[in-house]
Amino acid sequence: MIKRPAHGRRAAGALEGEVLGALWAADTPLTPAQLQTTLGTGLAYNTIHTILSRLQDKGMVVRIREGGRSAYRPAKDAAQDAADRMRTVLEGGRDRAEILQRFVTSLSPDDEQALRAALGEDGPEVR
Amino acid sequence: MTAATTLLAVVAWIGFAVIAPRLARRLPPAAATAALATGSLIIAASSIAVIALLAAPWIAQLPEIAELGPWSAPKLRSGNPVPVAAAVVCTALVGAALARLTLTGWQRVRAIVVVRRYCRHLPATDANLVVVDSDQPDAFAIPPPSGRIVVTTGLLRALSADERRVLLAHEQAHVDHHHAWWVLATDLAAATNPLLRSSAQAVRHAVERWADEDAARQVGDRVLTARTIARAALLVTPTQPAQAMTATGGNVPDRVRALMGAPPRRRLLPVLGMATILALSLSASAGVDSRTDTVFDRASLTQARIGWAPATTTAVNHIGVSHGNGNRSR
Repeated sequence: MIKRPAHGRRAAGALEGEVLGALWAADTPLTPAQLQTTLGTGLAYNTIHTILSRLQDKGMVVRIREGGRSAYRPAKDAAQDAADRMRTVLEGGRDRAEILQRFVTSLSPDDEQALRAALGEDGPEVR
Repeated sequence: MTAATTLLAVVAWIGFAVIAPRLARRLPPAAATAALATGSLIIAASSIAVIALLAAPWIAQLPEIAELGPWSAPKLRSGNPVPVAAAVVCTALVGAALARLTLTGWQRVRAIVVVRRYCRHLPATDANLVVVDSDQPDAFAIPPPSGRIVVTTGLLRALSADERRVLLAHEQAHVDHHHAWWVLATDLAAATNPLLRSSAQAVRHAVERWADEDAARQVGDRVLTARTIARAALLVTPTQPAQAMTATGGNVPDRVRALMGAPPRRRLLPVLGMATILALSLSASAGVDSRTDTVFDRASLTQARIGWAPATTTAVNHIGVSHGNGNRSR
C-alpha cells in the first residue's frame, strides 16, 4: 500500500502524473529503480511500483520484460487517440479555448524581452 | 435628481473598471479572484438594472405595454424625468447587453458540452493526467466536474522532472479551485457591461497567479516555479509567434516577477477600496430604483383606490406614502 499524505487521492493522482510524465520524457523504457533516480523526490521503491501497476491497469503504461526485470513505457495508442480528439476540441475556436486553462501561452516580443529581463542575472538561467 | 444618481452610478462603474484591476494586483491571487468576480457580477447586475429602470417609464408608455399595467401613459409621459432620446438609448443598451449575455452564455455552454463529451471518450476514466502524443508543447486544464489535466509529450520532454511537478501542480490547482468558473462568471459580467472587460482580464491573470502560488507552495520552490513558467512560455515563442491564444494565460513576465518576490500577504485596504466602490454603485442603483418607483406611483391609475392589487409590493409602499399627494413635485 502507498502511504498517503493528508491530501489523499489528489496526492496519489499527482504521483501518477509525475511517473507518467517521466516515462513519456524518457527515450527508453524505465525500470522502477531508474524512475526513482529520475524523479529524485525521495519516493519509496514500493510506492513507484504501486503507481506503475495502477497506471498499467488503466492502460496508460505497458510493462516490458527485459532479462528478468520489468521496465515500463507509456502506452502510445491511448495518447495518439487523445491527440486526435484534442485536435478536434481545440479547433473549435475561441470559446473552447476560453474554458480551458492553458499553461503554454504565446508571448509578444515585448513580453519575451521583459521575461528574459525578469529572469535576469540573479534570476534562474533559461536553458 | 435622477440625472445625478445615474451619474453617480456611472462614475462607480467606471471607478470599478479602472481601480479594481489595480487593487486586485495588491491582493493574494485567490482573494483578488473572488473580489474581482463578485464585484463584476454586482456591477453587471446593477448596471443592467439602472439602465432598464431609466428606460422603464418610456417603455411603459408604449401602447401595447401601457394597456397591461395599472398606470396612465400620459401621466407617465409628463412625470418621466428621463428624456425620450435617453430612454431610447437605454432601451437599446439593455437589449444589446442581454443579447451579448445570451450569445456569450450560449457559446460557452456549447463549448463546455463539447469538452465534456471529449472527456467521456477518454480512455482511462479515473486518471487526472491525459497525455497527448504531439510535439507541440502544450498543456491545459479541463474544468470540473470533468477535471482533467491534458499535457502533450512535446512539453513533458522539454521539462525536467522538477519542472513537470510544477506544471502538474499548476494545472491541478486550476481544476481544484474551479478557475474556469470564476473566469466564466467575469466574462459573462463583461458581456453585459463592456466596462468590465478590464476586470475579466484581471481575473484571468489572477487565476494564473493563484495556480502559480499553489504550485510554488506544493513543490516548495518559488524560483523553480518561476523558471518553469518562463521556460514553458519561451518554448512556444520562436516557432509559433502567432498562436491564437494570446488573450489567455495572464501576463507571463508579471507572473514570473511575482514568483521571484515574496509570497503575497493579505491586505485589507484594497478590499475596502473595492467594497466602497461597490457600495456606491449599489446605493446609486437603489436611488434610481426608488425614483423610477415614484414616477410609476404618480402615474398610477389606482393610487386613490386601496384594495386594488398593484403589480409589486414596492408599489404598495409607495402608494401608501404618496396617497393624496399625487400632484406634489419633488
